[in-house]
Amino acid sequence: MSDYDKDTRGGGGGRGAAKGKDDKDKAGRRGGFFRRRRVCKFCVEKIDYVSYKDVKVLTPFIPERGKIQPRRISGTCAKHQRALQTAIKRARTLALIPYVTD
Amino acid sequence: MSIHRQYELVYIAMPDSTEEQLAELHQQVATVVDRFGGTIERTEPWGRRRLAYEIGRQREGVYVLEILNGPGAMTTELDRRLRVLDIVMRHLVIRVDEVLAKESRSQTRRKSATVARRLRRGLPAEPTEQELSRRKQENDDADGPDGFGEGDR
Repeated sequence: MSDYDKDTRGGGGGRGAAKGKDDKDKAGRRGGFFRRRRVCKFCVEKIDYVSYKDVKVLTPFIPERGKIQPRRISGTCAKHQRALQTAIKRARTLALIPYVTD
Repeated sequence: MSIHRQYELVYIAMPDSTEEQLAELHQQVATVVDRFGGTIERTEPWGRRRLAYEIGRQREGVYVLEILNGPGAMTTELDRRLRVLDIVMRHLVIRVDEVLAKESRSQTRRKSATVARRLRRGLPAEPTEQELSRRKQENDDADGPDGFGEGDR
């Protein structure tokens, strides 16, 4: 079981043969893999339905101006951005979230 | 016989409305739902909340959420009624059955996929206590300042 764990950390399966090689492999990944890569928050947390009622979930996606944060900044995937968009718009009609703030 | 679907109705009543007025409003909604052969599944009063922006000089509102089952014609009627009432500042009716079904479907699919994967790896179907505690620890570590300078993950 512990062998198995090591394998997943090393990256690809079946590569963790020699120990030295394993370490090198790790380092290589570090170089190619940008630390700040954006990932869709909803995919990570496995949220399938974005509800307009959860203001706590929505607020991180509305910066101080009150606009919906674009995908290129938040890193949300297309599917969840669409869901997020409708949720935010619904929440706006119910005055849970502002349209504009200045 | 019309098809019944699930809807969510949220309305915001005036902040100065009394308990009786709110009860009456609920009653009115109930009568409309009843007339169309629908049912009220649940009523969730969220209570008085601050509005994100002013609606007709008001800064607060009394929110009520009702989960309804009924035909589509019911929603049009509810919409019409609620628009006329002065005590209701804002309302929203949305259909939820489809998205909720979709959500539960993808969640069960995900769960069964996890179980299948675990079995293929020769692990028990459910995560063991040990794994859970380790995972929790890893999550706690990941919650650091900005995720820099930690191990190989």
